[in-house]
Amino acid sequence: MTALPKLPRPHQVLFDPKTGKPVNVEANWYDPALPRILRPRRGTPLQTLVLLCLILLAGTLVGIATAFLMIERERPLLAVNIGPWSAHPKAGTPEADPYSVAIYTRGARVPLTTGEGLSLTARTDTTGASLDARCSYRISGQTPAARLWTMTASDAYGRLSPTLAGRESIDSRQILRHADGSFDITAAIRPRSGNWLPLPAAPGENSGLMFTLRIYDAPITTGAALDGVSMPDIVKVSCP
Amino acid sequence: MTLSSRMTWAISLLATFCVAVIVHILVVLTIPLNVVHSAYTDVGSFGPDRSFNLLPDVKPGDEPLPALDPAMKHASCRFSLADGPVLFTAAVPSPFWSIGVFNEAGEAVYSLNNRTAGSDILSMLVITSEQLSILRENPPEDLDELIVIETAPMNGFALLRAFVPGKFQSGEIETALKTSYCGGL
Repeated sequence: MTALPKLPRPHQVLFDPKTGKPVNVEANWYDPALPRILRPRRGTPLQTLVLLCLILLAGTLVGIATAFLMIERERPLLAVNIGPWSAHPKAGTPEADPYSVAIYTRGARVPLTTGEGLSLTARTDTTGASLDARCSYRISGQTPAARLWTMTASDAYGRLSPTLAGRESIDSRQILRHADGSFDITAAIRPRSGNWLPLPAAPGENSGLMFTLRIYDAPITTGAALDGVSMPDIVKVSCP
Repeated sequence: MTLSSRMTWAISLLATFCVAVIVHILVVLTIPLNVVHSAYTDVGSFGPDRSFNLLPDVKPGDEPLPALDPAMKHASCRFSLADGPVLFTAAVPSPFWSIGVFNEAGEAVYSLNNRTAGSDILSMLVITSEQLSILRENPPEDLDELIVIETAPMNGFALLRAFVPGKFQSGEIETALKTSYCGGL
């Protein structure tokens, strides 16, 4: 009769004196008492991958969305603002900022160049509220010195709409002025006495309203600074 | 090493922001390279190249090019300097007219109006440096009277704008724009 081999003695089971739970001596190298930064890292590849994908996705979405807002709404950061009026004096030149370049090439627009004039647009009134095509506005004050200017009413994207008068603009040669050279223009759908700028007769629900002042052959387009020039104020008169 | 969950969040947000900035810049910069139709291609639809084509009146819903002034009449001429220098002549009976020369990307190369032109008659020559040196060997008599614009070889277009002060002058200005000359010397 052969002697049976001696079986290994089972591991001694230790108990944590605090919690009373068994402690595996073989695995207690993972000491939770170590500071977090010194603890060995246990990889969680799937979790990391998901996190990275989420970061990429969210970043791409935010990047595209902000670019779309900047280009589609045509309000680049680098415009020159005078009250409610804004202009891109460098649009269509090699020194144009990337937003102007994107807006103008995407819209296939031919800009007014420095030798011709400057186009200023207003989408808000003087208080900063968005223009509403159903309201009437008073545009009063003075424009920078120019040989000729025209003021046009269009929707927020610059598209013209039919008006009751059959014209969409008013120009400096047909306008009545005060003795000091300033003027008052009333922009409204229905005819007004004095200087009337007809607004779209049937404005769309969300088409918006934009005034474009184009000043032709003006000193400010040919070098002189744009700061300090006086531009007309836009004040809301009434809304239906 | 492991990071606290707050740190993980902060780094994730920062990374998202950086990715967003890079994508935003890439999108804005690549839009001009990916446009389906440019002003240069649109101008070609109004008539043959190397001649002034009168653009239809700027009317609501029927604007020949976006953001044109409805108080003006326009004529355009598309050209390629590879076909030789381009001469522009026009006499427009308007209190204000202007012409802008643009390259294929829509950037202004040169522009002037009837005051800066120095006379009521436009006579302007767009020419490359090489063509100009050839032309100087045997110059035409009126070369001194032309406004000579020396540029790099390019495809481009010119847009002539003329202010219409009233309905009565409309026909006269239209005829003047139609008879404006754009072509070889």
